[in-house]
Amino acid sequence: MEDTKPKVLIVDDEKGLRIGTQRLLQSENYEVDTADCGMLGIKMGTENDYDLAILDLKMPDIDGISVLKAIKKARPNTVCFIATAYASYDTAIEATKLGAFTYIPKPFTPDELLRNLRAGYERRLLIIEAERLKKEREERLLELAFEKSRLNTIVNSLADGVFVVNKEGELVLYNPAAVKYLELNEIIIGEKILGILPPKISELLKHFLGKEAFENKTNSAEVELKPDRELVVEIKCSPVPHPDGSLAGVVTVIRNITEMKKVEYVKSQFVSMVAHELKTPMAAVLGFLNIILDPSLQITPEQQKDYMSRSKNRLQGLLEMVNDLLDISRMEMKTKSRELKELSVGGIVKSTVDFLELELKKKGVTVTSRYQEDLPLIKADNNEITRLFTNIIGNSIKYNKDKGTINIDVSTSGNFIVTKISDTGIGMKPEDKARLFSEFYRIKNEHTRSISGTGLGLSIVKRIAESYSGKVEVESEYGKGSTFTVYLPYSK
Amino acid sequence: MSEVKKKVLLVDDDVDLIEQNKMLLESKGYEVVTAENVKDAWDTFQKEKPDAAVLDLIMEEHDSGFVLAHKIKRDAYGKTIPVFLLTSATYVTGMKFGVSSSEEQEWINCDAWFNKPINIDELSNKLEECLEKYGK
Repeated sequence: MEDTKPKVLIVDDEKGLRIGTQRLLQSENYEVDTADCGMLGIKMGTENDYDLAILDLKMPDIDGISVLKAIKKARPNTVCFIATAYASYDTAIEATKLGAFTYIPKPFTPDELLRNLRAGYERRLLIIEAERLKKEREERLLELAFEKSRLNTIVNSLADGVFVVNKEGELVLYNPAAVKYLELNEIIIGEKILGILPPKISELLKHFLGKEAFENKTNSAEVELKPDRELVVEIKCSPVPHPDGSLAGVVTVIRNITEMKKVEYVKSQFVSMVAHELKTPMAAVLGFLNIILDPSLQITPEQQKDYMSRSKNRLQGLLEMVNDLLDISRMEMKTKSRELKELSVGGIVKSTVDFLELELKKKGVTVTSRYQEDLPLIKADNNEITRLFTNIIGNSIKYNKDKGTINIDVSTSGNFIVTKISDTGIGMKPEDKARLFSEFYRIKNEHTRSISGTGLGLSIVKRIAESYSGKVEVESEYGKGSTFTVYLPYSK
Repeated sequence: MSEVKKKVLLVDDDVDLIEQNKMLLESKGYEVVTAENVKDAWDTFQKEKPDAAVLDLIMEEHDSGFVLAHKIKRDAYGKTIPVFLLTSATYVTGMKFGVSSSEEQEWINCDAWFNKPINIDELSNKLEECLEKYGK
């Protein structure tokens, strides 16, 4: 009361009383407004938040009860008094029912008035305080509810599965991903779930649940939920502490690592394949050297020379394979620096044929070719495109029959430069065709046994073509020959 | 070794290794018949009725040696001869090869494993031991 002046509204049509009361209250440190009729009283009382209001019951325009109703409706916390000389028991009751604090019979002494106002003001302060507390509590509850829904939203939107159990192993929280990974159709909050979890997961959980104290560490394990790498997850269990440091429960996070496992598997398959492919020629060379160096075998100088030259061939092949592998690895890792230039496919094909002249002559293979006029250029790396055609044309010489032919046709179709390379070689069976572009795949039959190769050439061809959004197709007839068609998009 | 030469079927898709191993086995007094693929190997096996078979594990397919070994061991005659597998891959998908445990013996149908290139003394010792066991 000392710091802020209580604000009082006096509504009375009697001028003397109005002024008198105003003066009295002002001298007692109240801030006082007055209204000389009911209408003005309503206007002022509803527009301002008065602490207290003293309302005359009988006024010429509208009575004090109506003023009280209006003020209470707009300002329920304003403490109102009804002042009247015509006090009756009934009006008093009605007034208090309608929200008046009390009624003050007229005439009143200054002491009576002040005592009533003081009590009213205390009530007003209590109401305001209660109001403040109520509002604060509501805000806090709202915040709590918001916190909870925020947590739920976050947990539910995780791609990883999350669930929490309490110390008794009862489910406290879970998200849809957890239900999906664990294939639990019906789980209920509060249910004991250790029994229905995959054994490996419940084992991890039991490790923590068995202990009274909170242990600050995370246990993890990889679990194959569906066999043959169909669904592999990583499980991480971490204990959740109470504020006092004791164990509250355990949170489990389930992450799908199937793709990673698949890649790992393919990688390890590839590594074993490479190891085998590298080891075979080494074993052959080592075998030859063992024979040459074994005095008990007594091989002839001619045999020795033959074994040496065959060892050399195997080592040569090994070197080629390592080079091919390094190229593949660079292509995979995209570390190979490319120099993109405008290139003429026809020009590259021609120079590749020139480059392979010696091989062509050795086998007596002849080349016929047709180049469409005004071929557009492609934008590519010269080395890569040369490599692509060297591998294909090289094959069509290697796998051709003696004195066979190679027919080359370069033209455009749609957005592509189409290069057809047909040979009159040994051809291939449909089952071989399907695996032709796989790493290390080499067709093995009586025709191919004497032909050396790394098994990587066509896999490199495919990689190069696809890296330029092109493709390679193959048609073949066993015993008659094969046609490789290379599509490379040209820049318009 | 008896007067009559024991006949060994040698199967490998690598011509150099066939030649080497043929020579080494011959130096130990065996008669050697060879094949370069599973189909020929089976034909040769049936025609020649060898006293033992030495097969490369990885031929056209990565498990051709296994398949062929199984086929021979299931055959009425085949189960009376020792079958050895050769490999240059000592680990395929992290698997170590061996026939020491009974579990391995159960699904790897062969009598012994050898790494390439072979040590002919080891191989021929084992071969003798197995031939005796099989009463060859």
